[in-house]
Amino acid sequence: MRWQILALAAGCVGLIILALVASGSNPVEVFGKLISGSFGTPANISGTLKETTPLLMLGLGVYLALKAGLFNIGIEGQFIVGAFTCAVIALRVPGPFGMLLGVAGGTVAGAVWALPAGWIRAYRGGHEVITTIMLNNVAALLTTALVAGPFKDPTDESPTTASLAASSQLHPILNQGGLQVSAAILIGTACVFALAWWLRRTVAGYELQAVGANPTAAKFAGVKAPQVILRAMCVSGALGGLAGGLQVLAYDGRFYQGFSPGYGFDALGVALLAGNSPIGLFPSALLFGVLQKGGTSIQFLGVPKGITYVILGFLIVIAATVRYRKVKNHD
Amino acid sequence: MTELLAQLTGGTFMFTLITGAIVFATPYALAAMGGYTSERSGVMNIALEGKMLMSACVTAIVALPTHNALLGVLAGMGSAILLSLFHWLLTQHFQIDQIISGMAINAISFGATNFLAGKFIDQANNQIPILPLWKNPFGQNQPFQITIFMLLAFLLPVLLAYYAARSRGGLRMMAVGSDPEKARLIGVQPRRVRLVALIAAGAFTGLAGAMIVSNAGSFTDNMTAGRGFIALAALIVGGWRPIPSLLACLAFGVFDALQLQLQGTALFGVIVPSPVWQSVPYVVTVIALAGFLGRSRPPAGLGKA
Repeated sequence: MRWQILALAAGCVGLIILALVASGSNPVEVFGKLISGSFGTPANISGTLKETTPLLMLGLGVYLALKAGLFNIGIEGQFIVGAFTCAVIALRVPGPFGMLLGVAGGTVAGAVWALPAGWIRAYRGGHEVITTIMLNNVAALLTTALVAGPFKDPTDESPTTASLAASSQLHPILNQGGLQVSAAILIGTACVFALAWWLRRTVAGYELQAVGANPTAAKFAGVKAPQVILRAMCVSGALGGLAGGLQVLAYDGRFYQGFSPGYGFDALGVALLAGNSPIGLFPSALLFGVLQKGGTSIQFLGVPKGITYVILGFLIVIAATVRYRKVKNHD
Repeated sequence: MTELLAQLTGGTFMFTLITGAIVFATPYALAAMGGYTSERSGVMNIALEGKMLMSACVTAIVALPTHNALLGVLAGMGSAILLSLFHWLLTQHFQIDQIISGMAINAISFGATNFLAGKFIDQANNQIPILPLWKNPFGQNQPFQITIFMLLAFLLPVLLAYYAARSRGGLRMMAVGSDPEKARLIGVQPRRVRLVALIAAGAFTGLAGAMIVSNAGSFTDNMTAGRGFIALAALIVGGWRPIPSLLACLAFGVFDALQLQLQGTALFGVIVPSPVWQSVPYVVTVIALAGFLGRSRPPAGLGKA
């Protein structure tokens, strides 16, 4: 099987190189631009860190759900709902208290958005992937309707909320020579360590992993699996909402139509590539951050950004062949 | 209110509504049938969206320079079948989790179509030729065109229902999707059955994508815009059965057409924004999955090796 996986990987890499050559680009040049576009200057590094922040937190949310045996594809919707809620609250309530309230509201909104999917999976047996895909679409459509309607900034043409006042934004804690580091990425880092501790050292965390590893065995050991599933889904959603809230306060300063450029999907890849330990989320989120940020730079070489999504897809496929295979092998 | 009622019962309104619903429902139904064959054989297919998108893009790339509609549609179907073969390779040979593989195919397709369209579609030349069709069957003042896609969208579910219930191949497909272990014991090879099912899924989603792009006239980024997920929703609401799924597709099509026509019209004193209308199919599906619309049972072997 090993050489077959290698063949698959080689095929994927070959296909990308072929696509670049066929479209008249130099693959080495494109790859160089991808790296220099994400690490070349302090401003580029700041941009990469900005992209990495939501990916880290959303990846953590997906990772946590995966530990309970759930695929939270809905992290995208939970992120959007959290961001929208936080923006609306922080616009009404000024200052640090408003920010705190906004982040709390976003977190709760994310959890609430994940609730139906968790409940249906836990108590009605409906697959969480399908419900969360549907809820993602509902989240995108409803927030669009809201920012195009009652919460629209009247001075702006496009569907967006007003921008937050400077006093309601999370300013970079480090701002030197173009290098900006936001508190948001530190909060994300803290969340990773906190959840790693929670998974390893608490009863709830242990139960969550037990349900993920073998639901039947967990049930006979006295774990109430439906409750654990519901809890895992809500915590995962809360992380999505928190990431959305921080994204508004630290980076965007407003909520607008098309707020997420597909972070939710990237987050699935982040969690899959992270491996067994939550610490793996850091390099994995950074890799996806590089692809997001560097992908914008390669457009200057006339290479459409889409190629980075192809790379992402192939990376996920290869990671999954190595790690997420079914044990049985018939035929 | 009386104005609205008069408008609703007016001849042109009903005609536009019905024909609009058929146009919207056609790609849903074609893609849903792709979902039907693959899910009934046990392969969860959340990649319908990506396969449609790929087909739409390749149809445009081939049909534009050659001015040949048939060649375009065939190329589009071919590209979706290729993606399906990749899907088969991942889920059956490499035994990857079917959700991961589906999401990955969607991402690859989204990226690849963005790349291909940016590099190989001449934006100035953007009138995609369309397959021969029956123009204005209801006279000149009732503009409506019956395309081959529509006929297929209505025929396929009937044929598939018959195929699944009566033919040897169809029964094998159902057996593999219900219990791959027992199917294996009676000498049916799940992998082979799924290969055929996925090729069929590629062909059907390919047709859906070709229909979308030739209906729009040109390719735009991410132009399927979630239609693959609505098709999946229709399949679920229809309880993984072809004809009920077709009806669900038609119902969702009616919603689309209604939304288009009621845009800006006040309903009971409020203007319902179109995104709210558009989210109805998704909400209905969540309710169906919660089991509130009667028990909808997925194939028992869905996602199994």
